[in-house]
Formats: sequence, structure tokens, C-alpha cells
Amino acid sequence: MLFIELFIQGLIQGSTYAIIAVGLTLVYGLLRVLHVAHAGLFTLGAYLGVAVTNQTGSLSLGILVAALAAGIVGMGIYRLVYEPMLNKPPYVALIASIGLYIGMEELFRLVFGPFGLSFSSAPLQTVVVVFGIHLRACQIIAVVTNVVLLGGLAWVAQKTRIGTGWRATVDDPQMSACFGIDPIKVRYRVFFAGSALAAVAGVLVALLTNLVEPTMGAVPSYKSLAIIVLGGLGNVMGTLIASLILGIIEAFGTIYIGDFLDRDAIAFAFLIIVLMIKPTGLFTSR
Amino acid sequence: MKKLRWVLVLCFTFSCFGTGWASDTIKIGFNAPLTGFAASDGKSSTLGAKLAIKQINEAGGINGKNLELIVYDDQAKASQSIPIANKMIGQDKVVVGISGSYSAPTRSAAGIFQEAKIPYISAYAIHPDITKAGDYVFRTSFLGEVQGRAGAKLIGEILGKKRVVMITLKNDFGKSLAAGFKEKAKDFGIHIVNEYEYSIKDRQFGAIVAKVKSDKPDAIYASGYYFTAGPLVSQLRASGVTCTVIGQEGYDSDKFIAIAGKAAEGVIITTSLDRDSKAPETADFIREFEKLAGYPADMVAASAHTAVKVAALAIKQANSTDPEKIRDEIAGISLKASTGTIEFNSLGEVSKNVQNQIVKNGEWHRHSVISDPKLLAPPEK
Repeated sequence: MLFIELFIQGLIQGSTYAIIAVGLTLVYGLLRVLHVAHAGLFTLGAYLGVAVTNQTGSLSLGILVAALAAGIVGMGIYRLVYEPMLNKPPYVALIASIGLYIGMEELFRLVFGPFGLSFSSAPLQTVVVVFGIHLRACQIIAVVTNVVLLGGLAWVAQKTRIGTGWRATVDDPQMSACFGIDPIKVRYRVFFAGSALAAVAGVLVALLTNLVEPTMGAVPSYKSLAIIVLGGLGNVMGTLIASLILGIIEAFGTIYIGDFLDRDAIAFAFLIIVLMIKPTGLFTSR
Repeated sequence: MKKLRWVLVLCFTFSCFGTGWASDTIKIGFNAPLTGFAASDGKSSTLGAKLAIKQINEAGGINGKNLELIVYDDQAKASQSIPIANKMIGQDKVVVGISGSYSAPTRSAAGIFQEAKIPYISAYAIHPDITKAGDYVFRTSFLGEVQGRAGAKLIGEILGKKRVVMITLKNDFGKSLAAGFKEKAKDFGIHIVNEYEYSIKDRQFGAIVAKVKSDKPDAIYASGYYFTAGPLVSQLRASGVTCTVIGQEGYDSDKFIAIAGKAAEGVIITTSLDRDSKAPETADFIREFEKLAGYPADMVAASAHTAVKVAALAIKQANSTDPEKIRDEIAGISLKASTGTIEFNSLGEVSKNVQNQIVKNGEWHRHSVISDPKLLAPPEK
């Protein structure tokens, strides 16, 4: 029984990781930039989601506003920060991204205050009991959202013209441009989609913990880097599977090896072991 | 040319006035985490200290001089508090330093104040090593171990619960609470079923909650701050764990109730601020703080307020800004403050009653008081 419960808790945790990390892996696949500030968009989404829900009473509106706003800010970050640096070595963009993330953390603190923000009446907290396991509605929704969003993303990537254009640009930007695909448009779309997903993850985490803080992106910012390496950089399916595996390992690890290994350290211990055995990550990147 | 000379003379005169005014205030140094993960506690403690300064200055200051609070942001990091301590001593020439911060930065700064022989008061940092820095360092709050012992008495004796699961925050705060709790658990007939640890960054406790549920305890002794305890308690309740949850002063904020919502009902904590106190110092502080800050008082605010009052009274009694005289006055002080009566032992630790507060109808209220001088005695060396 405990085994099943820990497994489910791991899936829930892994689902939020997946939705955050997938945006990061998309950006990496396209630009070869480690977009640390992605975690700032996750925090932005969480803040907007809670603030709008508290003001209007509508969670769906909150999620919509959060996703749209984070998507637009994500495109802005690409245009203003990464685009001018694309010709520079990759660490230049990485340093800029880390700086941007720290700046965003402090900006959230200045705007929203240091105490964090909670739902005035948290939605989706109804408890459902399935075979003696208590699950909150928001936990179930976190897993479902993960499946739907990442499934949808995979479908877009495989079956639509936009997806084909995106994959072509990742493989060979110059050749795809010759075939009439505008690489700039592809980049904007990727930043918009990835950032909007991060915002949705932010609102989901806010529902799970009922607390949004300026520093809430700190752990996802580096853990999702571990996840995308595990999943094979730029590989969406790999990211999903790596996230879920990590969530489950963490859930069991917290209980059985938590005495000597911190939960956040488990991700990196796992990463080191995998890279020793298979240096390309669990799943080979494209 | 003549005009210019006059202007220069005027400038010189005013600049003399300027420094004259500056030395007319008595400077108290204050380090708190104003940015970073602990910024909320930093804001509360700074406002608590500012309230004390305001009250003292409005009442005529100290021996005719106003107090001035020199505030620095230490981000709750030891690496920041060391240069800050040096700056307060060397550049600002503070006569007393106060920490409105966590244990790590306070420990590092304490050594520097001790070396410079300037009194330093820890308002709410609980690590035992802080006062061990030397005879110039004092603490106006409980040691972690002392509060842990009070927690054991609360659970084992007052509530009569015997099967206990511990959920321990993995930092100075949580570890020293756990040490005190375990030390006295047996004396109160408590059987510790299991202990789980979590990091200060954790907000999702799914795995721990699932395991605690299978342990079926009578009570849970969970250390943490409101930003970890809020999510923890609501996740425990949502998963069907109904036993009593006991926390400590880290929970002591209205934000805890805002985060945990209905799940907060019935949670009991050991702390130093009694919301239902009839003592004029406490009641007045609670009222005035809310007026100044715009939100209800919490433990860190009350502790910083107390520490400033201690420093101010010591300066007044010393009738001097000589750090050595001030230190001697602090060591022998007896002051009724917002967090109780402050009197230090030879190590610079206080011994006062532990206030147990319970959440009832979305507010903190008095549950019980532990006044057991033997149980609560801090170490003497």
C-alpha cells in the first residue's frame, strides 16, 4: 500500500518537473542555450495565476493569463537577451540567463513582497479516496495536465506543419530556411510554448502547495537542467520519462535513503550514475 | 571672491553641524535577511526593531540622545554577515549590534563582535554556538534545545500523547529542536516511532506524508518555518492524517494560517509570543506593530523588538556609550518585554516561560504555558 502511495506521489512530483523541463529542452534543442531564466517564468506564472484567481475567482482565467503573459515574456527574453548573443560562445548566454533569473527573483520580491502569495480560498482541494489512498483533485489534475500537454506537444511536433518546421530547424537551420521555413518565427513559437508550459507548471505547483514565493524557481532551475541532460538534450519524450523516473526515485529516496542523502541531491546522484554508464543520457538526443 | 569665501565658511560650518548631529544619535547595528529566501522574516524583524526605536525616541530617547538603527541586509548568509559586522564596528561605530537574522549569519557575526568587544544580541537565532562566542554575546530567545524539551513536555505530559513521529527540518534550527526533543522524550513517556528529514527548499511532502500515514502516530512533532510548515500541515490533513501536529516558533506567523487554511486548526506551537497576553508590554506591542506594519505581529518581530529594548535599557543604565559598561548592564538586566521577562545567565542566555499557542478559528490563541525552570534551564557554559 505504502509502495503504491509513494509511486503515485512520485508521479505527481515528476509531472510538475516534466512540464517545467520540457520548455527548457525545447529551447536547448533549438538554440543550444541553457535557459536558466526559464525557472523565473515558472515563478511568474505561479504569481500571476494566484493573483488573477484571487481577484476574479476564476482559476481557468488565472491559468490563461499566466500562460499568455509568461509566453510573451519568454519571447521578449529571446528577443532582448538571447538573440544578440547567439554568435557568442554558449556560456555567455548561460551567464546572462543566470543573471536574469536572479534579477527576476528579486523583482518578484519587490513587486509581490517577501511573504509569498497564497490562494485566498485554494481551488481543487477536494479529497478523493481511491482504495484508501487520499488524493486531492489538484494532484490528479497535475498528472492529467502533464499527459495532455506533453501528448499535445508531441502530436504538434510529429503531425503538423508547424511541428515539421520546428524539427527541420532543429536538425539543420540553414537547409530548412532554404525550404521557406522562417527560423526566427520558429524560435518565437518555441519560446512562447515553452514559457507558457512553465507558467502552467507554476500554477499547478501553487495549487499543490498553496504558496508562491520569489525563490520557488530555485530548485526547478537546476533540477530541470539535470532532467534534460538525463532525457537526452533536446528530446521531449526523454525529458518526460526522465522527469517521471526522477519523481519516483525522489519519493522512495526521501523515505529510504533520506537520512544520508538530501532529496535534491538524489537527482544529481542519479544523474552522475546515469552519465557514468551512458554518457549521452538515458535517451540519445537527436 | 569675497562671496565665495563666505560660501566656503558657511559650508564648513554646516558640515560641522552635520557631523555634530550625527554623533548626537546613538547607533545600534542591525543585520537581517532583507533579500533572499528569508526576506519575510527579515522584514518582520526589521519592522519590530524599528518600532522599538520609534517608541524609545518618541519617549525622549536615551539620556537626551536619539537612537539610530543601522540596518544591513545579510541575506541569511554567513558570508554576508562577516563584512557587515566589520562595517558596523569599524565604519558606523555602533555601540551595540543586534541580529535579526538566522543562526548561520549570527554565529559568524558574533565572533567578530566578541573580538571587537562590542555587545551583540541575537534576537531569535537559536544555535547553541552563538553565545559561546564569548561574554559580549547575548540571546533574548530560547535555545533550540530548550524549545525542543518544551515540545516533549507539551506532547507527553500536557497532551498525553505517546506515539510520536518527528518530521525534522535539516538545518541548525530543526536539528537543535530535534536534539532537545529526543533528550527529554523518554522522561515524558514518548515513543518516537520514526524521524524523517526534509530540506528547507521542500514544499511538496507527498512521500513523507504517505509514510507518516502508515506509521499511525498519536502526534507529529514537525519542525519548520511557516513557509514549509504551511504546505506540510495542509498536505498531512489532505491525506487523511488527523493526529495533533506540534510545531515551534518557526510557525509563528499569520502566514502559516493563510497557507494551511482550515488544516491549520488545532495545530499547537511552542513560542515566545502570547497573543492573548494581558501583560501591557506584549499587548501594546501586538497593537502597535500591526499599526506600523499593516499585518499582525509575529515571533521574529517581537524578538527583535525585545532585543532593541534590552540594548536601549542597558545604554540608559550605563549612562554611557562605552561598550564595556553597556555589556555589564546587559549582563545584569531585568526587563519586562514583549516576549517575557529578560534576565541573562552567565552564558548570556535567557530563561523564560514557553508560550504554547493553538490555532483556533483562524487565529493564534493561548493553549498553555510551560513554566518549569529546571526543564527550560539554558546551559551555563
